[in-house]
Amino acid sequence: MTRMRRQNQLDMKPNNLEPDDARLGTLLRESRSSPSLPPRFQENVWRRIESAEACNVPVGDGNWLDAVTAWILRPRLAFALAAVLVLTGLGLGWNKGEQLARYDAQARYLTAVAPHSLR
Amino acid sequence: MKRSPVILLLALVAGVAVFAASYVLAQRLCVKSVASSADDLDWLRQEFRLGDAELTRIRELHDGYLPKCAEMCKQIAAKKLEVESALAVSTNISTVVEERVMELCELRAKCQLQMLQHFFETSQAMPPEQGRRYLAEMQRLTLGFHEQIEQSMSHSADHEHGGH
Repeated sequence: MTRMRRQNQLDMKPNNLEPDDARLGTLLRESRSSPSLPPRFQENVWRRIESAEACNVPVGDGNWLDAVTAWILRPRLAFALAAVLVLTGLGLGWNKGEQLARYDAQARYLTAVAPHSLR
Repeated sequence: MKRSPVILLLALVAGVAVFAASYVLAQRLCVKSVASSADDLDWLRQEFRLGDAELTRIRELHDGYLPKCAEMCKQIAAKKLEVESALAVSTNISTVVEERVMELCELRAKCQLQMLQHFFETSQAMPPEQGRRYLAEMQRLTLGFHEQIEQSMSHSADHEHGGH
């Protein structure tokens, strides 16, 4: 008899709970502390999503142009490429400008001291 | 229609345009900033790192040399006209043509010697190492020019002989 009663208690479903038990459940849920998110959690999530998307671009199916385009159009890469191009252009241009200026100055001096009829 | 090739092409064109614009801009800015003065001796000052005292001495030499050089150029130009006149009335190497050509060569040689003398004097007004470098550079730029022509002519002469 005692054994049967214990079995009934174990088989008891939640809708059979008393109102006090439901309140107890709510209290238990509320008392459970939610862990705080690590710093820059949201940013890291977006970074993971971006990198996953970049890796998932189909390459093997022959549409490599799409893959390259998608890769190049990533804002960070595009900005870095533009910066490299601008800096390289400025550096090489300045170098060439110095050469031209030196050549002009040399030509001016030579024209003054060594007329073309002698060279 | 596939968009990727178009986008890639546009990106490539944009990249080339960005690079070219930076290159040209920097080059012009540099030329403008470096070659701002029209001083004949700018090259000497920059290339041979001359101080104010050395540059002043070299400027004196330079200013003293320019009238002599101009006078020589005038004489050479006059002699060239004489050679052309003598050639215009000749069908062969006449005595007059020979004399005028020899006189022109003599004038050019004198002018060249005067120029070399000026280079020596200028090099002595510089620190020894820079002076040696200046002298070598001026010889290369003035006398070396003839050597290049002579070498190119001897090469072409070899080809001619080889052809025979």
